[in-house]
Amino acid sequence: MKRRWAMVIDMDLCTGCGACVVACVAENNTPTVGEAEAGKGRLMQWIRVVRYFRKEEHDETRAIFVATPCMHCEKAPCEIVCPVYATYHDEDDHVNAMVYNRCIGTRYCGNNCPYSVRVFNWWDYKREKPLDEQLNPDLTVRSRGVMEKCSYCIQRIRRGKETALKEGRPIRDGEVLPACAQTCPPGAIRFGDLDDPESAVSRMMKDPRRFRLMEHLGTEPSTVYLKKMRAPGR
Amino acid sequence: MRTGEPRVVIGLFDGVEKAAQAAHALRSLPLPEENVTTISSVPLPDGAVTRDRRPIRFPWIVVVFWLAGALGGLALTLVTYQVYPMITAGKPINTVPPAIIVSFEGGMFAALIATLVLGFRSIGLGPFRSGKKVFDRRIHEGRIALCARVDTGEQERLAIEAMTASGGEAVRAEEGEL
Amino acid sequence: MKSENHLSRLDESKLYDELSRSNLPATKRWYAGTGALLLVVLASVAAFVYMMFTGLGVTGLNRPVMWGVMIILFVFWVGLSHSGTLISAILRITRATWRAPVLRGAEAMTALALMVGGLYPLMHLGRNWRFYYILPYPSSRQLWPNFRSPLLWDAVAITTYLTGSLLFLYFGMIPDLAIARDRAAGWRRKLYTFLAAGFRGTHAEWRRYHVASTLFAVIIIPVAVSVHSIVSWDFAMAMVPMWHSTIFAPYFVAGAIYSGIAGVIAVMVILRKAFRLEKVLTPDHFDNLGKLLLTFTLVWGYFYFSDYLTAWYSRFPEDWEVIRSYSGHYLPIFSLLVACNFLIPFPLLCLKRVRQSIPAMFAVSLVVNVGMFTERVQIVVPSLARRNDPSIWGTYFPTWVEISFIVGSIAMFALIYVIFSKLFPVVAISDVKEQLFHTTDRTIGGANFSTVVSGEGKEEGRET
Repeated sequence: MKRRWAMVIDMDLCTGCGACVVACVAENNTPTVGEAEAGKGRLMQWIRVVRYFRKEEHDETRAIFVATPCMHCEKAPCEIVCPVYATYHDEDDHVNAMVYNRCIGTRYCGNNCPYSVRVFNWWDYKREKPLDEQLNPDLTVRSRGVMEKCSYCIQRIRRGKETALKEGRPIRDGEVLPACAQTCPPGAIRFGDLDDPESAVSRMMKDPRRFRLMEHLGTEPSTVYLKKMRAPGR
Repeated sequence: MRTGEPRVVIGLFDGVEKAAQAAHALRSLPLPEENVTTISSVPLPDGAVTRDRRPIRFPWIVVVFWLAGALGGLALTLVTYQVYPMITAGKPINTVPPAIIVSFEGGMFAALIATLVLGFRSIGLGPFRSGKKVFDRRIHEGRIALCARVDTGEQERLAIEAMTASGGEAVRAEEGEL
Repeated sequence: MKSENHLSRLDESKLYDELSRSNLPATKRWYAGTGALLLVVLASVAAFVYMMFTGLGVTGLNRPVMWGVMIILFVFWVGLSHSGTLISAILRITRATWRAPVLRGAEAMTALALMVGGLYPLMHLGRNWRFYYILPYPSSRQLWPNFRSPLLWDAVAITTYLTGSLLFLYFGMIPDLAIARDRAAGWRRKLYTFLAAGFRGTHAEWRRYHVASTLFAVIIIPVAVSVHSIVSWDFAMAMVPMWHSTIFAPYFVAGAIYSGIAGVIAVMVILRKAFRLEKVLTPDHFDNLGKLLLTFTLVWGYFYFSDYLTAWYSRFPEDWEVIRSYSGHYLPIFSLLVACNFLIPFPLLCLKRVRQSIPAMFAVSLVVNVGMFTERVQIVVPSLARRNDPSIWGTYFPTWVEISFIVGSIAMFALIYVIFSKLFPVVAISDVKEQLFHTTDRTIGGANFSTVVSGEGKEEGRET
């Protein structure tokens, strides 16, 4: 069954707490690089919460939080430049797939992503005991030299599809959620199937507040945002 | 009357003028033009001493190889696209500009290899060498060797005479080919 | 009145001895110098092996600057390799009279610089040991590579150009190898006999040899243009501000030829000094090379200004942030670039006194090469460091591993060139002889001139 997974991030609800980042790290075996490496720009987190400050006259300084996972663009610029087909567009789920054991590490995809959501394994990251027991057995631990990025928790999507198939029923809306969507305390991150007209994301796509990051580039992202509206007093 | 091995009369000359004189004398013997040639360390202009009228056709065959290489490059890209139809960036499966680029490079690659191989074949170098060839190392000292292929003993005698008369050194008859 | 040509005045054996000094048996000093270069190369190789086993974290790369010194070295050395193609191929085809002593050195530079440059795409891979995924071969994964990627076009183009330039170099050497074969002894004689492939020098052979050489030159020029265009498309195809520019292909080709000419000048000065070739490499040759370099200073400046002007004028926000960094964080690189590529060479090369002074030309050529290396730095680093999303803007500075690659690449080029010049004739002796053969003296009025034969001859006694 074909699906069109999408993510809607409501910036009105996002408080910038960063729980999505922690959840993603826990779910996807993302290494913790340490302060020195982070200072060099080598964070490995697949989702980042970007904080922009805005100051207008006669108003207090406000912070706007943009949680930035992979956009899973329909016209993903990262896919076309990979010389070995290590990243391509999965037509069954309409997500941008990353194949770790095909990647030879040219890092062209990382350069071609305008959102800079792709990260590279600069080292073989060690996990000292007992932290190695925290690893998720549903997906790999990547070696040095491969690119990685947010996968919409494809392992959870697969598990959800298998379960639904086994039980002979369609996937319910909200049953398959990436770790960030599952964890977000105010519920700012919503995830679902656009091909299901009843799903929450299909409804939210029609919201007039909807916008895409760097829409002028024409990448057609599947991760969309709902603009932050500032009502008086908020 | 000797039969069997071809024989060549070879003589060394000190300058282009003397060699041209000797070549003229050989032509009036008469020896046909294609049986007389020079061996020199410096390429002599066509017609200065001898003239080579045989057409050089191998560049056209290089063009054929260029086309074959270009078709190979085109096939490689298009077949790869067909066998591995993975969608990347929403582009069509059969993309044209990359096919053009790879075909161009494939054609050039084939043309380069063909030029070497066909050039060797045309000159008669390397694996395309045949028979015993006459040569004299002293051409690198500034001499020009004039060679004439002779079929009869009479022609050999006349050729040696003509070359010696024009100032040739070390004029002799050898077995071998031009 | 038949006047003597210049070649007949010389003793050809002495001429050969003079021009082939590089092929004399190796001295202790040669071994010492070559050994030192080899040590530097091995140190660089050791750094690479360390990097391969530890991970690319030992470099200064990060997000967003995912390409750094290794790609810069790749583009730099492939650019330098355009030296031979321009000088040798174009000068052969236009039959420039001063080309003869420069041909071999330039052609050798092409092939050897390509060998050095072609290593870097393999070295900068995250998983180098899996580089063969780029090749279309029947694999158990049942996958072939993606021809839509500019990196695949790179692989195809560099392979073609490397093969072509090696064949061009070899084919051009055949008459010289024939001379060497007839003058050598021992193992050298065996080597040259094999390589000369039985070339003798008959009239028919020379005619066909000229046709094949010209054909090689005609084919290699489009290959060279396409190769550096494809290298530039590694950048131009990307969605990175200031990379996505249509002018990149001609801009890079012009820049490559520019750095190539400067490289040839530098190498020629060194060869002239090392092998005492003062008689064949005269100040006039450097004067002509200097004029070529001046032309390309202007051509490069024109392309650079056009590229900058369009981005500066339209002020697209993403491009503008990168341009702003040129006067900000990257001002030193920008200034060095403009100074070394234009402000210093242009006025100097306009002066005939500079062009005919060999130390001055050496200095100018080194300045230009430094400038072109800085240009590659300026293309790669600021665009990535100040790219689309400001939240991940970063910086880049190379580590000791990458500095060792820079030094190692120069040492490797020098090492292969030294070994090449020891084994093979480094001056195109037959071309020099041919040039001398075509040159005679003529008196016009009260002065003597040397004149050169041009065009096809006409047989004596024939009507026009």
